[in-house]
Amino acid sequence: MKKILYIAATALLFMSCENYLDTESYTKKNTGNYPQSADDAIQMVTGVYATLNKPIANCANTYYFASELASDDRFGGGGENDKDFQVLDHLLYTNLDRFKTFWSDRYSGISRANMAIANLDKVADETLRNQLKGETLFLRAFFYNELVEMFGNVPLITKVPSTVSEAQLYPKQASAEEVYGFIAAGLKEAISIMPAKKWNETVSGNGHVTKWAAEALLARVFLFYTGFYQKDALPLMDADGKITGSLTKAEVITGLEDCIANSGNSLVTDYRSLWPYTNTLSKKNYPYAKNAPAWIKDGTNPETVFSIKFSHLASWSTTTGYSNQYMLFFAIRGSGSANQYKNLYPFGQGWGAGPVSPKLWNEWKTAEPLDPRRDASILDGSKTNDYTYGADKQMEESGYYSKKVIATTGAKTYNTDGTMNALFNSFTSSTEYYGDGAADDFQLAHEVDLNVIRFSDVLLMQSELTGNADNMNKVRTRAGLPTVSYSATALRNERRWELAFEGTRWSDIRRWGIAKEALSNQVGADIWNRGVATTMKNQGAGYGARYDATKGFMPIPQSEIDLSSGVLTQNPGWDASALFVSWNE
Amino acid sequence: MVLLMVMLSGMAFAQQKTITGKVTDETGAPVPGTTIIVKGTTTGIVTDMDGNYSLSVPATAKTLVFSFVGMTSQEVIVGTQTNISVKMLSESIGLEEVVAIGYGVQKKKLNTGATVQVSGDNLQKMSTTNALSALQSQSPGVEITQSSGQPGEGFKVTIRGLGTVGSSAPLYVIDGVAGGDINAFNTSDIESVDVLKDAASAAIYGARAANGVVLVTTKKGKAGKLQLSYDGYYGVQYAAKMPAMLNAKEYMSMMDETRFNEANPTYDWANLLPTSLYNSVMDGSWQGTNWMKESYNEAAPTQNQAFNLAGGNDQSKFALGFSYTSQEGILGKPVQSQYDRYTARINSDHVILKTKDFDVIKIGQTLNYNYNTKSGIAIGNIYGNSIHNLLTGNPLLPAYDADGNFYDYNDKVANGWNFDGNTGNPLAGTALSNWGLNLSKNYALQTSAYLEIQPIKNLVFRSQFGYKMTASTYRSYDGIRHLSNNTNVTLDNVSQSASSGHNTTFDNTLSYKFKVADQHQFDVLVGQSIEKWGMGSNISASGNNSMFPGLFDYAWVDNTKPTVLSQRGAGGSPWGSGALASFFGRANYNFKETYLASFTMRADGSSNFAKGKRWGYFPSMSAGWVMTNESFMESTKSFLDFMKLRASWGQNGNAAINNFQYLSTIAFDTSNGYYFSADKLTQTVGGYADILANPDVKWETSEQLDLGFDSRFLNSRLGLTFDWYTKTTKNWLVTAPIPAVWGLNAPSVNGGDIQNKGFEIALNWNDRAGDFQYGGSVNMAHNVNEVTRIANAEGIIHGDGNVLSQGTTEMYRAQVGFPIGYFYGYKTAGVFQNLDQVNNTAAKYAGAQPGDLIFVDTDGDGKITEDDRTMIGNPHPDFTLGLNLNLSYKGFDLNIAGTGAFGQQIAKSYRSFADSPLQNYTTEIFGRWTGEGTSNKLPRLTSGSNVNWQNISDIYIEDGDYVKIQNITLGYDFKKLFKNMPLSQARFFVTGQNLFTITGYSGMDPEIGYGYDKSWVSGIDLGYYPSPRTYMVGVNLKF
Repeated sequence: MKKILYIAATALLFMSCENYLDTESYTKKNTGNYPQSADDAIQMVTGVYATLNKPIANCANTYYFASELASDDRFGGGGENDKDFQVLDHLLYTNLDRFKTFWSDRYSGISRANMAIANLDKVADETLRNQLKGETLFLRAFFYNELVEMFGNVPLITKVPSTVSEAQLYPKQASAEEVYGFIAAGLKEAISIMPAKKWNETVSGNGHVTKWAAEALLARVFLFYTGFYQKDALPLMDADGKITGSLTKAEVITGLEDCIANSGNSLVTDYRSLWPYTNTLSKKNYPYAKNAPAWIKDGTNPETVFSIKFSHLASWSTTTGYSNQYMLFFAIRGSGSANQYKNLYPFGQGWGAGPVSPKLWNEWKTAEPLDPRRDASILDGSKTNDYTYGADKQMEESGYYSKKVIATTGAKTYNTDGTMNALFNSFTSSTEYYGDGAADDFQLAHEVDLNVIRFSDVLLMQSELTGNADNMNKVRTRAGLPTVSYSATALRNERRWELAFEGTRWSDIRRWGIAKEALSNQVGADIWNRGVATTMKNQGAGYGARYDATKGFMPIPQSEIDLSSGVLTQNPGWDASALFVSWNE
Repeated sequence: MVLLMVMLSGMAFAQQKTITGKVTDETGAPVPGTTIIVKGTTTGIVTDMDGNYSLSVPATAKTLVFSFVGMTSQEVIVGTQTNISVKMLSESIGLEEVVAIGYGVQKKKLNTGATVQVSGDNLQKMSTTNALSALQSQSPGVEITQSSGQPGEGFKVTIRGLGTVGSSAPLYVIDGVAGGDINAFNTSDIESVDVLKDAASAAIYGARAANGVVLVTTKKGKAGKLQLSYDGYYGVQYAAKMPAMLNAKEYMSMMDETRFNEANPTYDWANLLPTSLYNSVMDGSWQGTNWMKESYNEAAPTQNQAFNLAGGNDQSKFALGFSYTSQEGILGKPVQSQYDRYTARINSDHVILKTKDFDVIKIGQTLNYNYNTKSGIAIGNIYGNSIHNLLTGNPLLPAYDADGNFYDYNDKVANGWNFDGNTGNPLAGTALSNWGLNLSKNYALQTSAYLEIQPIKNLVFRSQFGYKMTASTYRSYDGIRHLSNNTNVTLDNVSQSASSGHNTTFDNTLSYKFKVADQHQFDVLVGQSIEKWGMGSNISASGNNSMFPGLFDYAWVDNTKPTVLSQRGAGGSPWGSGALASFFGRANYNFKETYLASFTMRADGSSNFAKGKRWGYFPSMSAGWVMTNESFMESTKSFLDFMKLRASWGQNGNAAINNFQYLSTIAFDTSNGYYFSADKLTQTVGGYADILANPDVKWETSEQLDLGFDSRFLNSRLGLTFDWYTKTTKNWLVTAPIPAVWGLNAPSVNGGDIQNKGFEIALNWNDRAGDFQYGGSVNMAHNVNEVTRIANAEGIIHGDGNVLSQGTTEMYRAQVGFPIGYFYGYKTAGVFQNLDQVNNTAAKYAGAQPGDLIFVDTDGDGKITEDDRTMIGNPHPDFTLGLNLNLSYKGFDLNIAGTGAFGQQIAKSYRSFADSPLQNYTTEIFGRWTGEGTSNKLPRLTSGSNVNWQNISDIYIEDGDYVKIQNITLGYDFKKLFKNMPLSQARFFVTGQNLFTITGYSGMDPEIGYGYDKSWVSGIDLGYYPSPRTYMVGVNLKF
């Protein structure tokens, strides 16, 4: 009996031991034990890069997609249910919360960057540390730049919250000056600390952000801020969060010239080899590209200054954003006819977002009749075999498609007579590129990187800031065009042609102050809705009025405004009158 | 003791007489262990193995009292008799019976909490696969709803209203071991189920009792004759109701009408469809494909075989049980929904040492093993629901081609199909993919061993060790198929996974029952418990390119032949482990069995919280007063036999959150890396802080006040139990959204309160007239649920969009001031009938025209905006009802059971109205608006992007009130006819399950536990797997 009581007593004592309740996570680390090493630090920085891809899982709500559709060069398009595409073109809304995923993903990148920057001192190697810190500063600035251009006054989060109660409160919106001051200060620091290694010799590895990218982004930020807000310099924020200095045009130009001279980046010989349709598989059966030099594979292209990278290993579960969903969204809606995509070869199936405005096609022809870049950039669907309008209820269809970022097919099997039989939904699924020749999901198999800053953009920015046509003429010469002398019109046209569909047009027309006229110019263009010919019409209050009302800023996610209990205020112009119900014929 | 012996021996000298007899039960079987006492004395004896007794009583003895647990006590006047045989009647709702109360039992009449006990017999007679569905009609205040009608799917069990957005399942305690799975049992394994509803009753399990506690006691051996029984049934299942789909012609006319309404030319069917197909539709020789019918597995069999053996002597007792149950699903052809379950149970108890009148050392064990296999069709959201795809399938598409193969893309091309390129064969979509080709095998062992030491009478030390093991494997095959333009799988995939885990518990209790001054009775208990769980692991693997394409039986990862590395995948992870340590105590007191009181205190420490926040303390108290024991109640004795008033108050805890919420964890998943390299195959791992740490996170507390009474009238024929309660869950563990600008996932915070208020009434009647016995019970529960706090500025936890259809907005939410998970959307006020009405309505969408819905401007700002959305439905019933009726006459018995629920709404959409205009309709669409006066409910046909269909509005909401007759069973015991057969029972029965449903709901089944991906939502019907209508025959044999 005693013995049993003894056992019982021991058991009771054992229980009181707190250690019994200690547990350890064996799949995650925690802020108590991480980061401890340089490898940890690199992982943290990689975690920041990962947020470049995240929003692309919902690509219709991202900066690039919105910029393309909102610009004058493209319509909304999609099927009749894709009102979310159409509203971007008309600056209306169906759902005020649509940008929630983008907003969250960008801020999650910012949060990760804030945490990484606070912990990078654990990297012992100074060169590597400076490189990684510069990359992180660049990315944080890049995220803020997209947010501030899209949403105007956004909250400025510069460090990780320390308590839960702090995080339950909504931080106030910062002024544009503060946000730009923070961006400029970050990029300036990045430029000053990053090692001056050539684009393909980066100390943290190829594919990482370079000092040159930071110089280019700074120029892009400068141009937008000074143009849109009518200023002559960028503000600079100090460590205490106060705007105490400024960053001049001269400094920005110095940076660009440093980039041009020292980055090792250069223009490729043939403009067409920048775009995936010249890949070795697709071009075999594509007469237009047959004789063009082959597409320069991602990661080896000297013209890429900064790109968002995609992978072969995207999956539906969590990593949709690793596939280039823009290529799917901007691709051609299917009608069900078996030969549709052979007729449109090598441009594949997708959701039909962003039909190209016929005005771009025509104005380009008028302004620069000999420019080969027009055919290199735009597919005229009406010239293809059996082109039928209204596939799968396509709206705002123009028949013109961007050839740059679009599902790109390739021949998979051939008939005995040598004609194509089956097609790859994406040429990258072939063994000639990254695939195994089998797995080829038409929605996921797109993996060509998205150019964010090309070297030709750097050259054009330098010309624009200096008023000197030399660099602009390098771009023209590469296209096979004669040189011109500098004028604002020449520069603006050059940007429109050279950088068509690359996400810059929208911010260009906003900063040049020509957005209202440019947008209104879309009215009257020939389009087809569900296969019925009509012309583009003003929807809601109309292009001009909507631009006046919004200045091109998009709505802040409504759920965030609701959650803030009045701390956040919605951008002007996004009241109930901007609700889009259906296309007004 | 010595004194007692002296007394007994002293009596031997008084004048004595001997009474003998036999005690039997209703079936004539002997009842060993029946206590027989001379009323008013301590003289008594218990019956032997054969139910016989021989008792020497004083000649003055007037009355004998026969009592046995679970049977009605009987008093027999001795008179001059020397042979008194008694037939004991089982006490269906008797007050002498004991109820399980957690770490012990208590006489029901002394219980001061709100509990329900359902005996195993009452579960078994429902002939259900699952014990929970048998409980449905018998447990007021316990809302049990199937989460799907597919075989082997589970139930949502909510006790007294939903109290959290987190885990809301009650705690199951199987034979004293917390945390088991009731689905692992055949109903024939179960002795009784006790549901502890109020906080005071559940408080002894404080830490995890916030959602109530269900105590399951498996059958134990009894001393006496060896008892062998066999219970079996076989049944066939049918669909109770199939939806009426449009046929080919009707479909074509609806499609054309949509085109017409939008000023588009109607379809040129002759050119869009293959010629022969078009002709056969036009000449009426083919009606089109009814996909639901194609998939219907008519007369799907179900069966159950259960063997039980029990026996023992006064030293050792045992009970064995083996069972096999199988059920085929009524939908899913040509693949099968199929569930098979095997169970085995071995329980034994052994007395090692005993004194004359009590056991000093006892040991025993329980062992329950369950193995089940399950394969089914997809029953998830609109992106993964086979039935939804059957409902939306295009009726113009043939199911099979001329060769008997699935009609697929190649057939479409070959036949010249030029209509919707994206439409595919939904049968093939399930039968050739992992939606239909899957098999899971689950193994579960629940076992325990105990040691009980009683050094002095009524002082019991009990130590129990429990061990649970669960393991499962899963295999699926996603085959090559080309069904439509966008369903073209060229590379097949085999996926396998396996997991196993363990859980141990160790409980020690010390209890003492004693009397002070004879009339103050105490029953006190102190104890300690520790538990560790999640000691397990998961592994998974997948491979592409099977060497045996199309053959599920050959679908193993070893049989795949990957051509590149990325075609093989593998994963492995540990189970999240945790631990709980607890101390508890309880004191039950009564004075003359009239004034009752109970106090409980439990302290729990959970590994889910940071040091310093781990311990939670959960007190409770309750009191009762048996009024009918008072002398002033004598006047009511004639009709009121028993009346006990009860009151209880207590707090329970809930710690069901993910571990490590108190730490800012750094995650390294593959979705957060980056592909820097040029090869697009090499990922650099990324690390990131995934949640904001909340070091302050602590217990969720549920506090409940319960007032009630138990009463019996008219010689105990009528019983009435009533409870009123108010239950507040405080410091709800919730992941309340934080501003996205912080860039971190929200942590679990103690950030919400919710209140459930309601009452329960249970009424029953039992009587007999000669050989005719009859009884019935009605129970009803009412509950009102309201969220009272959510810790963010907005006070809302948002629900999901894209639920009823892609392209629709949030349709349910948790919000302060509303019931949890209420349906959120626009109210409508009919359909615009004509242009005048449109023009005279101020608040409308631009472009509104006759035939469009009239949305209600609830905020009165003269416009229709998102702010006009409001509550359009509540998935939680206001009232639930249970009905039971039983009659028996001689060998015949008839049982009828029904359930009902009232006041809840269902959100139903059998097609993606908002984004897929070419999907099929049910014939309800004939009720659409086609011109003035035709309809004031459904708008005109448009392609779906129109707000009429795209807005979540009350046109998708229906009342879900229903009464289901769950079970009608008629049985006859042939023992009554053939008295000499060597069986003690030979009952044959026929049963009809789910025979009638009275409901206004238009869908297939109004009992819908499905709530998208959230546990706190229900009543969403996207093509819900309906529960079958079953006809069965069965037999119960007892040897």
